[in-house]
Amino acid sequence: MSEKVDVTRRKMVKTAGMVAAGVAAAGLIPAVKASAAGEKAPRWVMVFDLRRCIGCRACTVACKAEYDVPLGAWNTVVNEEVVGKYPNTKKPFLPIRCNHCEGNEADNVPPCVKNCPEYPKERQKFETPDGKTIRYRDGATYKRPDGLILIKNEYCTGCGKCIEACPYGARAFNKRIKSGKDTSKNGITKCSSCQHRIDQGVAPACVNICQGRARIFGDLNDPDSEVSKLAKEFELIKNRDKSTLLPAEKTVPMNFYVDPDNALNTKMARKKYEKMASYSCKVNG
Amino acid sequence: MQKITRRGLMKLGIASGAILTTGGMFKTNALAGSIKLEAGGKDFSPATGTERKMIPSACWNCVTRDAMIGFVEDGRLVKLEGQPNSIRGLGKICAKGAAGINQLYDPDRVLYPMKRAGKRGEGKWKRISWDEALTELGGRLKKLRDEGHPEKFMFHYGRMKGSSSKIVGIFLDAYGTGTKGNHTSICEGGKWTAQELTWGKHYDNWDFDNTKYILNFGSNVLSAHTNHIPTSQRLVSAMVERGVKMVTFDVRLSNTAARSTEWVPVKPGQDGAVVLAMCREIMNAGLYDKDFFKFIKATENPDATTDEKVAAIKAHLAQYTPEWAEKISGVPAAKIKSIALEFAKAKPAVVISYRGAVAHYNGNDTERAVQMLAAITGNIDNPGGRVRPAGNKWKSPKGPENKPKSKKLNLADGFKGQAAYPTHHINHQILKVIKDGKAGRPDIYMWYCYTPVYANGECQENIDILKDENLMPYNVCINAYYDESAALADLILPNPSYLEWWDWEDHVSPKQIPEYYIRQPFVKPLGESRDFKDVVCDLAERMGFPLGFKTAEEFVKVSCDTTPGIKEAGGFEYMKANGVWHDPKAKPKYFGYKKEVKADALKEEGVILDEATGVYWNWKKSTAKSEAEAKEMGYTKTKNALKGYVGQKIGDMVYEGFKPDGVNKSGYFELFSELLKIKNFPALPTYVPIPEHEKMGPKDLVLTTYKVSVQIHSRSTNCKWLTEMYHDNPAKINPISANPLGIKTGDAIKVKSQIGEIKTTAEVTEEVIPGIVAISHHLGHWEYGRYASGNKAPMAGDDDPDLKHKWWDSYGVHPNWIIPNSPDPINGQQRWMDTVVQVTKA
Amino acid sequence: MSTSTMEKNDTATMARQRSDIYGFLAMVYRQEVTSDFLEQIKDPRFLGVLSDLEIQFDDDFLLKPEKELLEDLAVEYARLFLGPGRHISPHESIHHEKDNSKWGQLWGDSTVEVKKFIEATGLEYQPDYKGLPDHISVELEFMQQLTLREEQAWDDADTEGADSCRNIEKKFIEEHLIPWVSAFCEKIMQEAELPFYRDLAALTRKFIEFEQDEINR
Repeated sequence: MSEKVDVTRRKMVKTAGMVAAGVAAAGLIPAVKASAAGEKAPRWVMVFDLRRCIGCRACTVACKAEYDVPLGAWNTVVNEEVVGKYPNTKKPFLPIRCNHCEGNEADNVPPCVKNCPEYPKERQKFETPDGKTIRYRDGATYKRPDGLILIKNEYCTGCGKCIEACPYGARAFNKRIKSGKDTSKNGITKCSSCQHRIDQGVAPACVNICQGRARIFGDLNDPDSEVSKLAKEFELIKNRDKSTLLPAEKTVPMNFYVDPDNALNTKMARKKYEKMASYSCKVNG
Repeated sequence: MQKITRRGLMKLGIASGAILTTGGMFKTNALAGSIKLEAGGKDFSPATGTERKMIPSACWNCVTRDAMIGFVEDGRLVKLEGQPNSIRGLGKICAKGAAGINQLYDPDRVLYPMKRAGKRGEGKWKRISWDEALTELGGRLKKLRDEGHPEKFMFHYGRMKGSSSKIVGIFLDAYGTGTKGNHTSICEGGKWTAQELTWGKHYDNWDFDNTKYILNFGSNVLSAHTNHIPTSQRLVSAMVERGVKMVTFDVRLSNTAARSTEWVPVKPGQDGAVVLAMCREIMNAGLYDKDFFKFIKATENPDATTDEKVAAIKAHLAQYTPEWAEKISGVPAAKIKSIALEFAKAKPAVVISYRGAVAHYNGNDTERAVQMLAAITGNIDNPGGRVRPAGNKWKSPKGPENKPKSKKLNLADGFKGQAAYPTHHINHQILKVIKDGKAGRPDIYMWYCYTPVYANGECQENIDILKDENLMPYNVCINAYYDESAALADLILPNPSYLEWWDWEDHVSPKQIPEYYIRQPFVKPLGESRDFKDVVCDLAERMGFPLGFKTAEEFVKVSCDTTPGIKEAGGFEYMKANGVWHDPKAKPKYFGYKKEVKADALKEEGVILDEATGVYWNWKKSTAKSEAEAKEMGYTKTKNALKGYVGQKIGDMVYEGFKPDGVNKSGYFELFSELLKIKNFPALPTYVPIPEHEKMGPKDLVLTTYKVSVQIHSRSTNCKWLTEMYHDNPAKINPISANPLGIKTGDAIKVKSQIGEIKTTAEVTEEVIPGIVAISHHLGHWEYGRYASGNKAPMAGDDDPDLKHKWWDSYGVHPNWIIPNSPDPINGQQRWMDTVVQVTKA
Repeated sequence: MSTSTMEKNDTATMARQRSDIYGFLAMVYRQEVTSDFLEQIKDPRFLGVLSDLEIQFDDDFLLKPEKELLEDLAVEYARLFLGPGRHISPHESIHHEKDNSKWGQLWGDSTVEVKKFIEATGLEYQPDYKGLPDHISVELEFMQQLTLREEQAWDDADTEGADSCRNIEKKFIEEHLIPWVSAFCEKIMQEAELPFYRDLAALTRKFIEFEQDEINR
């Protein structure tokens, strides 16, 4: 466990007043361990365990609150679809958020970043948990070395090309903010994996609230993390075609689904979406 | 007007100065202190990036009342999360809880006392001061009290729990009125009565942490439940981590049914037939729990042997074959048999039930049958079974010593003979009883956390009665929001949202260890809203009978500082900082009924043995005037005999048994109910057909209502984040029923019952069984602000930037317009799920 | 009297006059018009000054019995600023547009900034003040206090202190009053039914415009 992460983590525990042992850890991500390679950044991923999703939409609301997302836009939703004939009807739930894609194998750049006219911009440094530095370029939308796809509104021109480029509809205009470079246009809202929380060692808001514990977030580069264990148990990496959304798009998503009931084989999962609002958050009950 | 010149300014300045000095009436300065230039000077720049401040509190959006924490940034509440140190909630809250912030900052909130200005219901209001409001209300209240008619003040509440219930209760007692109404019979009161008739005090805890098998009749526990977050997350863990099987019987593929191992569709109101047939199979297979039968009452004879009891139950159940149940319920006989045997063998196993099964004509005996299924398999009060909760014991101020003897109007138990044991009252009949007038009428009708118009059936009649000034001379509404009932008030007192008030709380913990927790304000009440608990303290003071505490905060403080355990932990200061407390040494409570009663307790003065039931009881605590009278009347028929209950004689021993509550039952687990027999109902759990369903025509459908995961029954559609996700509720019909009617998805349809008709759209879906039409009951608001209904509240502002981005203009329909207010004949439960309707294209 | 003293006195007087106008306007928006306040406004000398500024109240204002007029003004005040009905929330965070999402609502960014701004000068909110920190009347009262302090600095020949005050005033006017008060007054002028609030809103607006020029001199 590196010193730095430990400190921020301790600080956050104190801040939140969750000092009591045991239960307190429930809201926290296990501290990042330095991998053998040394220079490796963490690789944050989310595993959705669909056995545990009960369609309650607390994740959606927690995210709305965390970012004060305006009406008409979402950073995460839960899709559902009624399948089969009565009395053998089924109703799978499918939580969705930005896939924080790795990008195709040729250049490791996901389509939203590739289509952003304001990328690349300045050189930035990313410090790994063990103190090594990795350099990268930021932009209006860019990929951080730990895999997060983030936005810097000060570069953003509000052109909306990233929204069009994303096959998952993970992005939308935030009608209550202006884009940094063109105040006649709106800025973009999308899932940041709660970068501001995880940098402090606190789990993303949707993970924190998920009563089914269907959202598991962690570092895939840490073999002891829960996501790594799940990835191994359910062969999530090996079978990307069956564990991620729209594999044919070759965006290499970093959201994985544990899906024993084939929710990824439904119409809702095989469709491309223009924006988060297209999911329409249909709630059946 | 021209530009102000320096010369103009000078004149204006001098004139203004004259006003300021002469008048000297700037009494209402907002600012105090003096300007310190040193503090301002160079560093004079507002700081930014303050840390969010964590405050522990408790939810109130639904009755689960999870402990939670909130984050306040620069005076604004920005985020709610679960309380990580709660043994109940384990750090979780639900979507509805997280959206509670929307209620605090609802732009349509009522922030000032409002007095009706036009005709009642016309929507014209005048803002008045609190002093004016309380002078008027207090004057009316005092007059009634002084005239010797405190009972003409009726207080009708939807939810009062924890310290709220205590404080307001103390006020009403000190005032002297017993004319109260609640809402339990439109919720699940019938289930509680059935439990009181079988095992005493109501409420069943479902021990998912320790169970091996779950049978569910009509509960949507994964979306909504009186103890939702604590139970549902444990249910998910049990299923995924321990592979526990769950079978759900429901008319609808609820989220719970969808996540269950198996959904078994059942016809509405026929769960009882399935349960009875299961009991029969289990008894016949010899899979019953012989040891538990010792504590069961199965015949008239309190001294019957286990063999006699088993024989009596078997004989009674003989009629309920799985084949018979299949015809009635639509559940295949083979399925009934296999599930029954699986359940009986998978000990410990838990059977759960809710409104889907009990809000019917026969709901009382459906719940009794469910209790029987749990009892004969020995899954009562055991780890992993259906368990009586461990209650907690807050100490709190008792209020004034000399309280007058309460008087009351009998308005809350329906009309004579409507229900045999309405132990949780028949509140859906209250307006009808008032209209009838024979039991008297209140001069002041006040409601709190309740919406009589919207929450009951027969909305139109509710509106007509509330509007009629001859029937209801003075309507007082306590609410933070302008809902359909507030619109018919004469006076609205602005309550804060629950995020701005104090309480202590005490809801059931699935751990079987009591948890103590408090609710504290995140911000001070907005506008002039004032916690009703503080208002009653003020009113009592004005009327000359101070309650002994001045505010809810003081009440909570004293409670925290005197309750054993919390006191030692640090009392109020500890609770303010930590929010929750439980005794770390406490052991989970099971098998309480097996505890033996000490011999001394039986020797106390007044304790006698009732031969007919085997109950030891202290007649002095009942209304009996002498021992002779008590003996002659007997335990069962003496009023308030249950208050003297000491123990149950079983063989040579006396046990604590299943202590009575609400009714004079014995200490046995009563499958055989003497009380029901007295009232000419079957003593053993019995299948009863639903009269209306017996007479249904081939095209008639049964209307079913339900809850979704993202709305509370009637009080959450002003939460923009929830209503954005759920603002339309088309009527769901199975294609097998829709096709003969020529109805397709999206068609405009009419749904007609004996009392009225609503228009809506159809959704033809495989999610519901044939023969029903399912309409959720959250929507169709015609008030409650812009997010809920599109209608702005009369006193509202525009203080929410999201108002510009609201994108929906459909608000759904409310099914209650066409559901009659009709009680279960035993317990008075509103029969939500029995309404027969005809569906046609509009 | 030396020139510099003249200047000092002039500037001190100027600060005092501005302070008094701020104080007067703060009273206008703080609450419904009281009978004392009404009596002062009806003073011919005051009406004369207003008249010079082309503000002339109508006959109703001048002739109506006091009780009736007070009731009318109270109704108008409530209608404009409190509700029932659509009203114009007298708080900066509702009107002060920001690039982020924290405006258009009560307790927005502006509320916080104003509160911190005011408290950073050593003033604090009265414990019994029940309103929000960014109420128009609070902002005006704050300026009243600041300019009063400025006057005192001039009187004490504390040029540095006076300059410091001017800097704070300038910052507050530019960061808080200018971005919203004009628009707010405009709304009142449109919505008001009685000349009283319509004209005083116009006066407020003109005064803030004056201040904008004055503070940059």
